[in-house]
Amino acid sequence: MEETAATISTQRLTKHYGRVPALTDLTLEVRPGEIFGFLGPNGAGKSTTIRTLLGFLHATSGSASVLGRDVATQSVEIRRRIGYLPGGIDLYETLSGGDLLEYLADLGGREPIRQAELCERMQLDASVLKRKVRDYSHGMRQKIGVVQALQHDPELAILDEPTEGLDPLMQQAFYAILDDLRREGRTIFFSSHVLSEVERVCDRVAIIRAGRLMALQNVDELLARRKRRVHLRWRGTAPDLAGIPGLADVLVDGDRITGTLQGEVAPFVRAIASPNLEDLTIEPARLEEAFLEYYTDELPPEPMRR
Amino acid sequence: MNGRLLLQTWRWQRARLLIVGVAAVIWGGLFPLFYVQFSDALRQLAKSGAIPEQLLNFGSGSLFTLPGAITLGFQHPLALALIGIFAVGAASSVVAGERQRGTLEVLLARPISRRGLYVTLAVAMLAVVLLIVGLMLLGMVIGSAMQNVLDELDLALMPLVLLNGFLLWGAFATFALAASVSFDRAGPAMGLSLAYLLINYFLEILGSLWTDAAWTQQYSLFHHFQPGEILAGSLNPLDLLILGVAVVLPIVYALILFPRRDLAAPS
Repeated sequence: MEETAATISTQRLTKHYGRVPALTDLTLEVRPGEIFGFLGPNGAGKSTTIRTLLGFLHATSGSASVLGRDVATQSVEIRRRIGYLPGGIDLYETLSGGDLLEYLADLGGREPIRQAELCERMQLDASVLKRKVRDYSHGMRQKIGVVQALQHDPELAILDEPTEGLDPLMQQAFYAILDDLRREGRTIFFSSHVLSEVERVCDRVAIIRAGRLMALQNVDELLARRKRRVHLRWRGTAPDLAGIPGLADVLVDGDRITGTLQGEVAPFVRAIASPNLEDLTIEPARLEEAFLEYYTDELPPEPMRR
Repeated sequence: MNGRLLLQTWRWQRARLLIVGVAAVIWGGLFPLFYVQFSDALRQLAKSGAIPEQLLNFGSGSLFTLPGAITLGFQHPLALALIGIFAVGAASSVVAGERQRGTLEVLLARPISRRGLYVTLAVAMLAVVLLIVGLMLLGMVIGSAMQNVLDELDLALMPLVLLNGFLLWGAFATFALAASVSFDRAGPAMGLSLAYLLINYFLEILGSLWTDAAWTQQYSLFHHFQPGEILAGSLNPLDLLILGVAVVLPIVYALILFPRRDLAAPS
């Protein structure tokens, strides 16, 4: 297959389990060097997509390539160059953490050149690595999972809900590792249902619902399009704010006004500038609102037009 | 084939292998002793007609001759249990068990093809089966030497007996491996493999004990395990051929099926 610029590319990728559609016409591209967030609640099709990219599942129709290789016919070549953290990873209970990492590195056939550094950053010291995996907590297993996925410095890491079970301190350590990988030009495909972490670490995000792609955008663009809540307090009677561009859902309660603002802030601030304005609060745009927009309605999902 | 995976698979079996290996040598060593101790008495019992002769046979084995005793040693239910621990128990859970535990996807996230994984695990299991059958046979040779009846065995024919035993148990192992790649849980794979073993065993024993049902034996793989005939110099190559086909067919099935299976997330 011809080398493509995209690190991951899917074309109308579809997967049915029997007659049940799990993924429908998924078309997306992950660019080299970006951290790509793949968002959706449980059962939306995130793991099905990942498992198809890894060759664990066979697509019903459509095609996909990873690092320029076809997932259906060149899966082994792909897996030689990637790191993978499965969601809710299961490990060999009878091995010690250290032996497990060595074993998986041996099977991968590549030197675990980042193992020591990653173990240090994930606080897996020698005494921890000597213990059997069966004695590990959920969080410890997840840390081992992160290390085994990244220890051979893969060109692409596919991480299925990587922070599940990590305490906040370890989550921060993990985000710092991702930041470093991004600086070094590595590509990360990152599935999650934790919106704040996607917002924190990802460059672009795809939102998937019932197996269909609902949105695919830069995180910044997605946030810019979101409505923010605004709170104003006036000295005296509140003015009529109708007609201010982007302001909607205006509620007036005495000297207090609340509403939602869509679009840029500057025109709004200019429009309300007045000596009588006592206080102004504009809440930051959250990805959560963008996400909920695709999930709160009861209507059948409208897939993204490309 | 992946050498690291092969070594690790054996390493995981090592404790069980040590125990079963020692038990196989001891078990094999007992049959020359039984032959020396009981063959005359059984022969007289058969002559007296007090018990029908077919009841003094068990499958294709008996204690009337040393090769018959060796056959009996391999067809005894305890031998089934000893070799079946690996040929059925370990082989049927080697892939399905990884699926059930969720570790298969960690394994397959490495650059290992499914066919490569299957071949590695099949080699690991068949080697273990060969080892256990070989140790049981070694025990029989040692036991014969200790009972001073070694001259009743043609040692030059022992490799053929080993091959015959390996093919019999290899057939059960490859069936179990084929079941293992077909199921997501070890239980159904083990159940199906055990049923295959027991049906074959039942057909052989039923036919040997009940003359009217002797025809059932030809449908049993056990009937093609004939150390007595081999040691008597009358090997039937068809027995080896049938067992060989029984080894190969499940391998072909697994090599076709396993790469085509969807491996959904473990539940």
